Amino acid sequence: MTDRLDLPQGTLDLLILKSLSLGAMHGWAISERIHDVSAAALQVPQGSLYPALHRLERRGWISAEWGSSDNNRRAKYYELTRAGRKQLAKELADWEQLTAAVALVLRMA
Amino acid sequence: MLSDLKYRLRALFRRSAMERDLEDELRFHLEREVEKHMRAGFTRSEAERRARIEFGGLEQIREETRAVRGVARLEALLQDVRYGWRGVKSRPGFAAAVVLTLGLGIGANTAMFGVLDRLLLRPPAFLSEPDDVHRVYWSYMWDGGVRMERNFAYTRYLDIERSVSSFDETAAFAYPRLAVGRGANSREMTVAAVSASFFDLFPAPAALGRFFTPEEDALPAGRNVAVLAHGFWQSAYGGRTSVLGEELYAGDVVYTIIGVAPKGFVGMPSSESPVVFVPITTYGHARRPEFAQNYNWSWLEILVRRRADVPVEAATADLGVAFAASWEAERQDYTSMSDAATARLSATLSPVHFARGPDAGPEGRIALWVMGVACIVLLIAAANVINLLLARALGRRREIALRLALGVSRPRLVQQLMIETLLLALLGGAAGLVIATWSGGVLRGFFLRAEDIGAVATDGRTLLFAGLLTLAVALLTGLAPALQALRADVAGTLKGARDGGYRAARIRAGLLLLQAALSVVLLVGAGLFVRSLLNVRSHDLGYDVAPVVLVNATVRGVPLSDDQRSTLADRMLEAAGTVPGVSSVSLRASVPFYSEEGRGAPVVAGRDSLNLLGRYTLQAGSPSYFETIGTDILRGRSFTRADGAASMPVMVISEGMAHAIWPGQNAIGRQLRLGNDSTAWTVIGIAENIDARDIGGDPEFWYYMPIEQHKAAFGGDVRPALLVRVAGEGRDYVAALRDRLQREMPGEAYVTVTPFAEIIQRQQRSWRVGATMFVSFAVLALVLAAIGLYSVIAYAVAQRTREIGVRIALGARTGRVMLMIAAQGLAFALSGIIVGGAAALFAGRWIEPLLFSASAVDPLVYASVAFLLLLISLAATLRPALRATRVSPTIALRSD
Repeated sequence: MTDRLDLPQGTLDLLILKSLSLGAMHGWAISERIHDVSAAALQVPQGSLYPALHRLERRGWISAEWGSSDNNRRAKYYELTRAGRKQLAKELADWEQLTAAVALVLRMA
Repeated sequence: MLSDLKYRLRALFRRSAMERDLEDELRFHLEREVEKHMRAGFTRSEAERRARIEFGGLEQIREETRAVRGVARLEALLQDVRYGWRGVKSRPGFAAAVVLTLGLGIGANTAMFGVLDRLLLRPPAFLSEPDDVHRVYWSYMWDGGVRMERNFAYTRYLDIERSVSSFDETAAFAYPRLAVGRGANSREMTVAAVSASFFDLFPAPAALGRFFTPEEDALPAGRNVAVLAHGFWQSAYGGRTSVLGEELYAGDVVYTIIGVAPKGFVGMPSSESPVVFVPITTYGHARRPEFAQNYNWSWLEILVRRRADVPVEAATADLGVAFAASWEAERQDYTSMSDAATARLSATLSPVHFARGPDAGPEGRIALWVMGVACIVLLIAAANVINLLLARALGRRREIALRLALGVSRPRLVQQLMIETLLLALLGGAAGLVIATWSGGVLRGFFLRAEDIGAVATDGRTLLFAGLLTLAVALLTGLAPALQALRADVAGTLKGARDGGYRAARIRAGLLLLQAALSVVLLVGAGLFVRSLLNVRSHDLGYDVAPVVLVNATVRGVPLSDDQRSTLADRMLEAAGTVPGVSSVSLRASVPFYSEEGRGAPVVAGRDSLNLLGRYTLQAGSPSYFETIGTDILRGRSFTRADGAASMPVMVISEGMAHAIWPGQNAIGRQLRLGNDSTAWTVIGIAENIDARDIGGDPEFWYYMPIEQHKAAFGGDVRPALLVRVAGEGRDYVAALRDRLQREMPGEAYVTVTPFAEIIQRQQRSWRVGATMFVSFAVLALVLAAIGLYSVIAYAVAQRTREIGVRIALGARTGRVMLMIAAQGLAFALSGIIVGGAAALFAGRWIEPLLFSASAVDPLVYASVAFLLLLISLAATLRPALRATRVSPTIALRSD
């Protein structure tokens, strides 16, 4: 098993928003997706997802609705709102800028 | 923002639904995770274990998610409120004691604030920008003293209105009492005669119809139009809208009703709300057709709105110039007047509140004092509550230590304790409002004029005051017990240590001393005011009050000639004498503290500037005058039936006047003249001094002449006005006299009968109010302080049960034990007497001007207060002391 990275502060929100940009998902699916896509490199304690989801919902970036999952069980599905899409674009741009700048500094030094 | 608010509201009000959702969501997650691990080949229990580890602490996640909702603090607060409420409910006796104590304190203050607000702070209803509106006063030298006046002639009002540029608005108003209605239905009521500009100061639309215009309030005689007051419209016309165009008979004029003023509109507050508003020119013309041509009749008050860009000083200077010009204009007609500079004429612009004006009575000052007293009562009440809360906190030490040990944070604990106090204070505030409403009527009756008395205590401003006061009290009383809890020694208390109440005991002792001292201050104040009232009551005014009744006939409708009026006066004199119980009747020209006739200073050969000695009042009466009013003739004789119109003019003068004009000489037989009149009056008697303008002031100068000779010398009529002396109390004869005399009235004329006591009591009111207020508040304070002392001593006895048990077991006699406990109470009382006595001596300087020939350092008052406090403190310690003697050593020593 490769070493797992702890998530830098504030990036969990970005990962959640990005995951949801593909469509509505419930919490477990989001957790699985982050795990899979990062090739299990990112260490996201599964529980910490939920305070983050509720925080995003309170801010109005995602909305929640109860629906039935694949094997007909009740699950809470989250979906990006219009404000959430804007926020995602903004956070993505910020992230690109930040990583580019950090990379530049690292290369020069 | 909006989604945030919606989310939070949902979190607050649909809390349980949200909790269920969260549970479902987390369970769903875990189930899926378990399934995933099971699919990977783990056993169910192993899969569950792994899922839980991956997920993290479930309870912590729940807590964090809840925290995200942004309502955690609020929820904690609600929880604390529920907790506090349970605490309040669990000890109903304790809660009732606190609520009642605070209720008394807050109630007293709220009621007094309602009074002060109306007396000094709140502007008249509907008055716009009241800070720019002023009552106009002027002062000048007259008869050797400075006269400050606010009554002006209409001509003077016109002079001001035309020449002062600093005012946006100048209005005149007078509130005479006139007969309103016809025949048997007519009653004397207050009528507001106002200029049309008056309504511009109170911009409010008429409730019905319209106000009158400057064209309807124009010289020479105005128009006969009237605007009803809202209350009178309701009571006399049942609020009919068809009232417009109907006729209203008021005074000597038949008016046409053109409008109804808005509800609550009284113009300038006066002793009685007006029932109708009429043009001031109409009223003036009806009373004296030449009212706008000379300065003889000063009958109206002036109200001005200062231009916003002109400071008060500049406007006052401007007004002063106008007054000087007006004074000089008057001097054209009266060359004997001194010029404006010599008269030291000066103008004053005062606030609209009468109680803040230069000629205010003592009501405002006394109300301020009583407010201060109410504050002291509140302090005493708060001290009691702090004591109770401290005692309670000591009783709850174990509970508090337990909560701290269980991890409740100290700030949270303080919050919980403060909330409990706040709940108690809020209940106390509610009780206070009830008490204020209930006692407010009585208080307002003491201080305020009629129309304010009817107002409810619980208007917005008073409610706000009560609310703020309640919060302040909650903070004041809650802080000490909460801080006490903060210092709790958790381990020690849980182990059962019994000390730690030491600091609290010191605070309680300090509070007790404060209470005793404040009670002493209030009791001294009460004592001084009671003495002062007794002094006023026993003060010899120089005439009798209780058995005297004033009778006045107002002629209207049919104009009577002077002779007819004189005949009416004679008929009234005769008729009043036939009423059973009436012992003597006299005609009169003046009445002390009510109305007076003045003809300036007398002229005496060889004596100059008698006008500088003081103010002279003329009285004219029947031969029975002195007998009727009860003024003694000290030397010489009174006038008799023989001193008629044709015989030698004679006069009785007051002792003070005789002494001032002929010091050290016999005044009897001397002669004096009045003004420009050539009649020489011979002094035949000296009467005792009377108080007519100022109770207990300097001797006033009165001179008395037979009414027949008065008429012969000055012409005119004999006024149909009587003084009647009855056997017993004057007020018992009002109805009989009115019934009998009304039969003599021609046409629409009517008779008014007033007990003299009513007029004199108004003069003594401020002392009566001061005494009543101080005594009731001091008694309240004393009761509160006694309760405080009782509870502290009782608590101390309970605390010392074990020690007392030991003493008794070792053979201490019961007398000694009792003494030990009682000494504790007496120590508080004694130190309270010393501290409070010193404070009272210090504060006495400011109260002395309000007292009537009583000294603020009256030793009798101080001694009685000290005695009373010692007595009360003994009574308060008696029960605890007795209980101490009944401590059974065996039980006390066994108790933990």
